Amino acid sequence: MNTPQSPVVHLIDDDEAVRASLSLLIGTVGLRVQAWADPQAFLAGFDRQGIGAIVLDVRMPGISGLTVLGTLAAQGVDQPVIMLTGHGTVEMCRRAFKAGAAEFLEKPVDDEVLLEALQNAVRQHVQSRRRSEAGREARGRYAQLSEREREVLGLIVAGLTNKEIGRALDLSPRTVETHRANLFAKLGAESLAQLIRQYAVLVDEADAQ
Amino acid sequence: MRKPIRRGALGVALWMAMSALGSVILARNELASLREGFETDARIAHRLLSQQAVQHDAVLASLSLLQPADATAPPERRLPSVYSQILTVERRDPGQAWSDVRLQEAELQSRSLRRAVLAQADLSNARFQLVRAAEPASFALQIDQRQAVPWTEWPMPRDSSPVRVALEYAGQSVVLQPGRIGASGWRFDFRKHLAAESQPFDVVATRQVGWSELPWVAMAFWSLAAAGLLAGAMALSRQRAARQRAEELLRLGQVARLNALGELAGGMAHELNQPLTALLANTQAARRLLDEDPPDLQTARSAMAQAVEQGRRASDVVGRLRRAVERPDGTEHAVPIDLEAAVRNVCYLLEPELNRSALAPKLVACAPVAVRADPVALEQIIFNLLTNALQALEQVPAAQRELAIDMAAHSGSGVLTVTDTGPGIAPEVLPRLFEPFFSTRAGGLGLGLSLCESLAQAMGGDLSAGHHTPRGARFRLSLPLASP
Repeated sequence: MNTPQSPVVHLIDDDEAVRASLSLLIGTVGLRVQAWADPQAFLAGFDRQGIGAIVLDVRMPGISGLTVLGTLAAQGVDQPVIMLTGHGTVEMCRRAFKAGAAEFLEKPVDDEVLLEALQNAVRQHVQSRRRSEAGREARGRYAQLSEREREVLGLIVAGLTNKEIGRALDLSPRTVETHRANLFAKLGAESLAQLIRQYAVLVDEADAQ
Repeated sequence: MRKPIRRGALGVALWMAMSALGSVILARNELASLREGFETDARIAHRLLSQQAVQHDAVLASLSLLQPADATAPPERRLPSVYSQILTVERRDPGQAWSDVRLQEAELQSRSLRRAVLAQADLSNARFQLVRAAEPASFALQIDQRQAVPWTEWPMPRDSSPVRVALEYAGQSVVLQPGRIGASGWRFDFRKHLAAESQPFDVVATRQVGWSELPWVAMAFWSLAAAGLLAGAMALSRQRAARQRAEELLRLGQVARLNALGELAGGMAHELNQPLTALLANTQAARRLLDEDPPDLQTARSAMAQAVEQGRRASDVVGRLRRAVERPDGTEHAVPIDLEAAVRNVCYLLEPELNRSALAPKLVACAPVAVRADPVALEQIIFNLLTNALQALEQVPAAQRELAIDMAAHSGSGVLTVTDTGPGIAPEVLPRLFEPFFSTRAGGLGLGLSLCESLAQAMGGDLSAGHHTPRGARFRLSLPLASP
């Protein structure tokens, strides 16, 4: 799988002084910053696969920050978005959260508030990426199981013993034991608890289909 | 342009309808009263003529009863000199014959009816004869009806009355009073038998009311009055409409001002927030860089330089804003104004609010006070002071609400004092009352009093606030007198 990337914060603000100073501030906690003056250029060019967060100014010429936020949500971008505004109204705040903003901060913003929000956002993003990656991996392994092994897995997850599984599937306990060993190996599970934690969801999905 | 024309046409139509209706009512009333007068006169004439007829019967009856002896001067010879209408008295003694055969027939009739009987009538010449049979002698009277009218008691002027009075009998008629009978107009008629069986004549009274007799003066007067009334009502409604429009404009103006202020505040916030954001971020970054071990001095230094630049940028924004909204010198438009006139103007504008609070401000001015001020600025200040007072008074029961406006001249200054009996000003609020953006009202911008103070000072005056005992607030505006 791909190597862990260092997180990048995308900063979109039309004011050069604000871009420069906020980049410097965010840089002091070791986060890499990519600053964009033009929201359209940002939408066209930023790395959607990367880990990180987005800091978006609400009031920009040409296109409003809320519109950019809506576009990001529609495109399924999973980086958390922190909105910055000069004078925020309750209505604006409500719309931002409805459109999926992670935070809504007022300018001028205090360093601790901004940096903590950013670090939280990045941490959450890393976790959610890791979770979805783990999910993808588990799905791949599950696909390698044979029909019979999936049946056995389903019954293991349901809490049946080898003897009960053998009776249910009309198999000898020895054969059940062999399937069990095989599926533990294929799924890379080291314990029953880990097996159930990682694959119970997939078994439920398969049953539902 | 169409609306005024339609209004005018409507007004004329309404006026014509009102005039016509009023005139018809007036004419009908007049005709009714004329008819009543006519009928009264006709009844009186009928009664008088009837009395006269009865008198003829009575004379005959007396002669029949008395049977005066045929002497040298029998009473019947004297009768014509007493009763002018009796032309002759004829007497038929037993064995004698009447001069006319008709008298003979009438006597026979009278004998059977036991009353006087009409022997012959020549009404065209106003003559007729009555006969009364008696024993031994019978009598006959020849009467001139023209002489039989009691003019002294007559209810109408004989020659000038418009009423025609006539007696009719068997197709003959005699006109007793000519009257004036025109060709057009309204005709009143009265016809009744004389109340005497011996003289079966009809009293016929006729009255023709001509167009000229209608109450033209009253009708014209009513028409004029209606025109005046309508014109007044229309002027009033126009005035009300104009006033409503003015109030609407005023309200719109206030809303527009508020919107403009909101826009200004929004723009200002953005313009200031950008440099402040950069400034804050730079200084905070610099602090973090200095806290590092070892401190990154070079980057911190450049961050501080950036911060300084952004501080200047913010100050430029404020300077630009000040220049943009700077008011011209307040004394430039100063003219002499009567304080009371300005107060009345503002009270007029605030009339709806005053009425809503059931308040009549007490205006006290010992003598007219004329100050030098910009009229718009002065009214703006008074408007704000009165609005504040009204808002304060809304917080106390209606019975305790009082608003007084005092005007006086004090050592070269014209002083206007607005006193209300509202909750007053809290002691901790008083020193900050004129600070910009300080407000005790939820949602208040806190610019009203600050603006008033600036305006007053720009005109060379000042504005102060204080307590009013026992309760309430007092604002005192002083401005230079027009002629110190």
